[in-house]
Amino acid sequence: MGKFGKEFAKGLILSNPVFVLALGLCPTLAISTSIDNALGMTLAVLIVLIGSNIIIAAIRNFVPSITRIPIFIVIIATLVTVVNLIFHAYLPATYESLGIFLPLIVVNCIILGRAEAFASKNPIKDSIADALGITVGFMIALLIVSFIRQLLGTGNLTVFGVHFFTLPGLGEHPIVAFVLPYGAFLVIGIIMAIFRWKGVIKSE
Amino acid sequence: MQAKKFWKTASPVILLTIVVAVCVSILTYVDSITRDKIAAQENAAVEEMLATMFPEMTDYKYENEIYTIYDGEEQVGYAFLAIGSGYGGDINILVGLEDATTIKEISIISQEETPGLGTRITEPDFTNQFIGLPIDDVALSRDGGQVDAITSSTISSSAVVDAVRETALEKVKQLTENQ
Amino acid sequence: MSELAAVFIGMVLINNFILTRFLGLCPFFGVSKQLNSAISMGVAVTFVMAVASLATWIIRTYILIPFDIEYMNIVIFILVIATLVQIIELFIKKTNAGLYFSFGIYLPLITTNCAVLGITLINVQESYSLTGSIVAALGGGLGFTLVLAMMSGIREKLEMADTPKAMKGLPIAFLTAALLGLAFLGFGGMI
Repeated sequence: MGKFGKEFAKGLILSNPVFVLALGLCPTLAISTSIDNALGMTLAVLIVLIGSNIIIAAIRNFVPSITRIPIFIVIIATLVTVVNLIFHAYLPATYESLGIFLPLIVVNCIILGRAEAFASKNPIKDSIADALGITVGFMIALLIVSFIRQLLGTGNLTVFGVHFFTLPGLGEHPIVAFVLPYGAFLVIGIIMAIFRWKGVIKSE
Repeated sequence: MQAKKFWKTASPVILLTIVVAVCVSILTYVDSITRDKIAAQENAAVEEMLATMFPEMTDYKYENEIYTIYDGEEQVGYAFLAIGSGYGGDINILVGLEDATTIKEISIISQEETPGLGTRITEPDFTNQFIGLPIDDVALSRDGGQVDAITSSTISSSAVVDAVRETALEKVKQLTENQ
Repeated sequence: MSELAAVFIGMVLINNFILTRFLGLCPFFGVSKQLNSAISMGVAVTFVMAVASLATWIIRTYILIPFDIEYMNIVIFILVIATLVQIIELFIKKTNAGLYFSFGIYLPLITTNCAVLGITLINVQESYSLTGSIVAALGGGLGFTLVLAMMSGIREKLEMADTPKAMKGLPIAFLTAALLGLAFLGFGGMI
């Protein structure tokens, strides 16, 4: 498994941004009410993270240490604004449901964190692998949580308008709590506990 | 020697300026290609709702926050936005008027009510009650009006009712004053 | 006046930044183990939110809108916030070294706190006036501090409780937040 694969796999489980590193919590809790939202957010994060990792890795040798953070911030903010405008124009439904969390990707600790910790110190190719791995890890985390919340909270599994199935009983009377904020904390807390229980990470 | 020193202090600033300049240009470019599409979308959304409410509509005018709906040369109704204070936030309602005394129809544009309870204000069972309702009768049944509230969601229901009635009365006043 | 009060209460309780809007979560789980640091953090964040709201409102009203460059708001807002936090950091370092030390890394991290950028964006979204924006920021910050303080009090007690190993730390914190969120649901419909 070459270095590319290694960096990629790291982002998936060991360094899973949500369940292990506890980064990017704000969007995860807020967005995970449906699978559509989860996928939309993943797309946005993918574009921004790959973009920023590539650019920052490319200029890493020219950036003096003092202005490093402001430059990273400007680059990431620009990427996020571009994604924001493009989504608003071409993917209006996704733009509406992501709401304030689309621009908030700018302060998503995942992006700046990877720029600072990885892309600024590693070649472009490795940085791309890192971005992909982290995004996939983020996506899987989002999908698991959204799946549970959407299924239990609305009783239906509907992705992009395609209805897959309805849980018997829950279709009529879903456990609404799961699509409310309280349900978000509950689901993520339990999954984190499972990660620790299975020994993926050390408990405190 | 002096050149090197100058470069050392100036390079962070120069680089930052270059990065900012590049970013600003990119943003300006992306804005220019998306701006029209975004504006068109917002208009399209409203137009679609108006068309659903007034199937015979061929044209409309927007002035002083009131939409006047036309079928050819004939004025067939009015529409305006009403905002209610719901349980979880603002409820945006499109209200259609047949004339100065009767509601044509209402359409809930957006709301943040409790799923399964307050969100039922968007269901036809609730909104259909407003069809053809005289403005004076827009009140909850318990208050002497003609609108039945949704069980266990009196706050959401009355938010809609109050917003529709108050704004309708306001707009009607505005219309009669301008005539 | 009553409108401002409604905005304020709405921000603190009904649409609480942490428990309803999910903004400001990273420090929420990182800092909130001790009541003192929780409150200091809360106050610092509230201050930044208020000043940032003021600065961004001015920039938006007098520069962004007149020049029709509203799409630049994300970039400009975050730069304003970053600069603000830098200035505050220098100020605290010079005037109260002890406080500076106790904040540690969490002070610069206020820059990436979703609550700060969040309030500036909410102000735009809701088209608040200057006073409205500042009131909203103070309310949001107060709500944030309130929940942070509650959380730290609970976590202090949790440290001594017999928590299952897998639950220790973050998981039980999340579950606690869930219960707090459930309790706060009761505030809905207050205004």
